[in-house]
Amino acid sequence: MEKIVYNDQGLFHPGHVACGGCAEALSLRVILNTMGKNTIGVVSPSCTAVICGGYPMTSTSIPIFHTTLETAAAAAAGVRQALEARGEGDTQVLCLAGDGGTYDIGLQALSSAAERNEDILYVCFDNEGYMNTGGQKSSSTPTGARTGSTPTGKTTHKKNLVEILAAHRIPYIATASPSDLNDLRTKVERARDMRGMRVIIVLIPCLPGWGIADDSAVATARLAVETGLWPMVEIFDGRDWRLTHRRGTRSVAEYLKGQKRYNHLQTDDIEALGREVDEGWELLNARLGQGPAGGSGNPQHRAAANTG
Amino acid sequence: MDDLPSPLWTYLTSDNRLTGTWRSALPRHRDVPSPCRGACPVDGHIAEWIGQIRDGDMHKAWLTLVANNPFPAVIGRVCHHPCQSVCNRSELDETVSIRSLERHVGDHAIAQGWRLPAPGPATGRKVAIVGGGPAGLSAAWQLMRRGHAVTLFEASDAPGGLLRSGIPSYRLDKAVLDAEIARITQYGLDLRCGERISGRAGLEKLRKDFDAVYLATGASRPRHLPGLAPDSALARDGLAMDGAEFLRQTNAGETPPLGRHVVVIGGGSAAMDVARSARRLGHDVTILALEAEETLPAQRDEVIEAREEGISLVTGARVRAIEPAVTPRVAGLTLVCEKVRFIPGARRGEFTVEALADSAFDIDADAIVTAIGQDADPGIWDGLITADGALASTGDSWQTDLPGVFAGGDLASMDRFVSAAIGMGKEAAEAIDTYLNKAADHEAVNAPEVRFDEINTAYHPPAPRQIQENRPVEERLDSFIEVQLPLAAEQALAEAERCFSCGTCIYCDNCYVYCPDMAVIRLERGYEIRTDYCKGCGLCVAECPTGAVRMMAEVQ
Ligand SMILES: Cc1cc2nc3c(=O)[nH]c(=O)nc-3n(C[C@H](O)[C@H](O)[C@H](O)COP(=O)(O)OP(=O)(O)OC[C@H]3O[C@@H](n4cnc5c(N)ncnc54)[C@H](O)[C@@H]3O)c2cc1C
Ligand SMILES: Cc1ncc(C[n+]2csc(CCOP(=O)(O)OP(=O)(O)O)c2C)c(N)n1
Ligand code: SF4
Ligand code: SF4
Ligand code: SF4
Ligand SMILES: [Mg+2]
Repeated sequence: MEKIVYNDQGLFHPGHVACGGCAEALSLRVILNTMGKNTIGVVSPSCTAVICGGYPMTSTSIPIFHTTLETAAAAAAGVRQALEARGEGDTQVLCLAGDGGTYDIGLQALSSAAERNEDILYVCFDNEGYMNTGGQKSSSTPTGARTGSTPTGKTTHKKNLVEILAAHRIPYIATASPSDLNDLRTKVERARDMRGMRVIIVLIPCLPGWGIADDSAVATARLAVETGLWPMVEIFDGRDWRLTHRRGTRSVAEYLKGQKRYNHLQTDDIEALGREVDEGWELLNARLGQGPAGGSGNPQHRAAANTG
Repeated sequence: MDDLPSPLWTYLTSDNRLTGTWRSALPRHRDVPSPCRGACPVDGHIAEWIGQIRDGDMHKAWLTLVANNPFPAVIGRVCHHPCQSVCNRSELDETVSIRSLERHVGDHAIAQGWRLPAPGPATGRKVAIVGGGPAGLSAAWQLMRRGHAVTLFEASDAPGGLLRSGIPSYRLDKAVLDAEIARITQYGLDLRCGERISGRAGLEKLRKDFDAVYLATGASRPRHLPGLAPDSALARDGLAMDGAEFLRQTNAGETPPLGRHVVVIGGGSAAMDVARSARRLGHDVTILALEAEETLPAQRDEVIEAREEGISLVTGARVRAIEPAVTPRVAGLTLVCEKVRFIPGARRGEFTVEALADSAFDIDADAIVTAIGQDADPGIWDGLITADGALASTGDSWQTDLPGVFAGGDLASMDRFVSAAIGMGKEAAEAIDTYLNKAADHEAVNAPEVRFDEINTAYHPPAPRQIQENRPVEERLDSFIEVQLPLAAEQALAEAERCFSCGTCIYCDNCYVYCPDMAVIRLERGYEIRTDYCKGCGLCVAECPTGAVRMMAEVQ
């Protein structure tokens, strides 16, 4: 059994108010401790804001700047500029935002920062909805999923943020899952050691939002990977695509079955979702073949090339 | 920063918020018994020693094994392995080959010449053991390691019991048996071979000379069929023989003078052993058993191997009469047989049979060997020991009605297995220890066993079971060389990897790493839950690969 390794430096504190069993708190623990103390956080209104904050207490040992939902990436870019002005270029800027703040409301700010190749690491905790406000749909909510504002199931598709970001040709994009913390740590390390705009999207099964048991966030994320629903990728410069986990072969139905938000789905709906997953992989497979090294470029090498 | 108005800034860390109040149940790290351990007659800590093999610490694995059973190399060959039938891994793919792994460790220990760990301080108490089979030897080791002085009386000229005189060498090499017994006898055992303890006086003397007595004389009184008993005409003419005597002779390297075609009557392990031994001495062999093939009391493997070796099986049948052969040129005897339906009774060993109409048939034979079981004889001490049928009557902790006298093994139980005898010897030793020293504390397990659904199989990818090969049939029959070959070292390691370690912490850190609330702390060896913060989500339990963490009610 492969041991999960990361050095917990105590940068994330107990006593935070995430739901018991929250995979976002879990992922945050790994991310903060991998980034290290020389980091400034910029957080948009989201579960993360609640988890980090709770005035007058903080759960992080790094300073956090709480910004607005539209402006996370812009605010992070501003913090970066301020650090440069003060000669503190080695301090990392870590922007943390939800999917609502990333796929929807903050997309403009994100796109602009990406276009300018701002030197920030942007992490999107993708729980597929506006969750801290009670669970409304976002453009990341998958087809068919029930939310507070799609009571009969969402009729539109989940937005393909990875493709959008890749189109910006930024140095680094990755998807990650709390079911593989070694992979998450490796991706954060890789991103941390690069410069320019870097984005990591972490899938976060939301306990109340998805209707899953308190102890099952990791198992649900694992199923998302093993059914192929959540491809695990790394993309260098928007061109060089790599898979970090082979396509899982378990049935999509197995993943849907465990979540109350999909309770109402009929066989047809499930089959349609299965086809959507297949189509996603067709596109992804085409991308995997197109990189400069056939999609298998050495990430270490590329990380070095992108530094400075 | 200091001159900014303070309310703008957080000034406390969240450690001040005790989220432990959110919780309704608390995870606890505790060693939970595995199902294999529950089924193991010696209460072997299987998950633990397999983990030690996996960690490459064979010596530790061996020490864990011998704590409950001083015969890992023996039991690794002959155990009926009830552990494997309940192995959680069989719900994922196939059971772990526990017995093969046990042999692997046992053989390694013999090759390395490892000695049993030093005994505790001498207690000055003396215990007599009667009978040097697995039950007696197991009790001897368990008593000696607790500091008691042990004298063992064995009627025959060497210890081992049925391991020496019953189980043939092709299943258990005598060198292996000798090595494991020598470790015990060299541990300070006062071994008195050739001393049979019988009669009222014999037992009373032991009670006077010792602080406690353990009786483990086995079951050596063969059951007979009419006309085939040792005092029958056929036996006198060398045409009939008792199975136990046949095995005693072949195990001692002697060749019983029987004609070419031998019919073995019986369907248990002993019958298989007689038949297969006879085959190795060049006889044509037929086994005649009451039971249908699927319900033969012998282990399945033994039946398959007997067939491979060219033995014919006639099942669901019995002998009605034995007559001089119709064609004396071919064989001396004709067995007049009929087909029967075998109906098992309520208790082990009880049964009835119904003859099937018009099913008569004959078998020709030169000799008949009967192997239909053996009974204990608790009467040899002239009624001092209360009998329960053909068994010595014992209480919860193997004590007889006679104060200070305990009994076990085949003498006191119908659980006729080597592992059961070893387990009974251990339990009796613990009871004797408590009898001699009231303060003695013995491990008791009461947590429910780990279920398959408590194992997170995401950490246990499918892996085929490593197969322990048999020697090819052509190489088996001209000697008593062992049939079963050992696992190769890489195979043993791969097999150890397959074990889920049910209920036994492997220090993987998953519980520590997966807690979103930093509520699990790592200790030097082990983990602790910070009750101030644990929200009771159960993620640590769900992501534990072994089922060693469980949610528990906080207030009992
Ligand atoms: C042919 C055969 C094959 C078997 N194969 C297997 C197998 O593969 N696997 C398995 O698990 N089980 C097997 N068994 C069963 C197993 O061997 C017994 O259950 C086990 O040996 C019982 O152990 P014990 O110590 O109670 O008695 P025993 O092994 O019978 O030992 C009793 C000892 O006491 C001595 N003794 C008897 N009376 C006296 C006396 N008055 N004074 C001093 N000493 C005395 C005897 O000489 C003997 O050494 C087999 C049994 C037989 C007969
Ligand atoms: C412009 C604007 N609209 C609405 C809100 C209210 N609001 C705060 S957080 C939030 C949900 C954000 O969703 P997401 O970014 O997915 O984060 P999550 O809560 O799911 O972690 C909303 C709608 C706001 N802060 N700003
Ligand atoms: S997996 Fe290992 S610990 Fe669990 S029942 Fe099987 S052998 Fe025993
Ligand atoms: S994961 Fe942490 S918070 Fe959840 S039950 Fe375990 S110790 Fe408690
Ligand atoms: S998760 Fe790993 S370290 Fe924690 S109790 Fe289970 S086996 Fe032990
Ligand atoms: Mg969200």
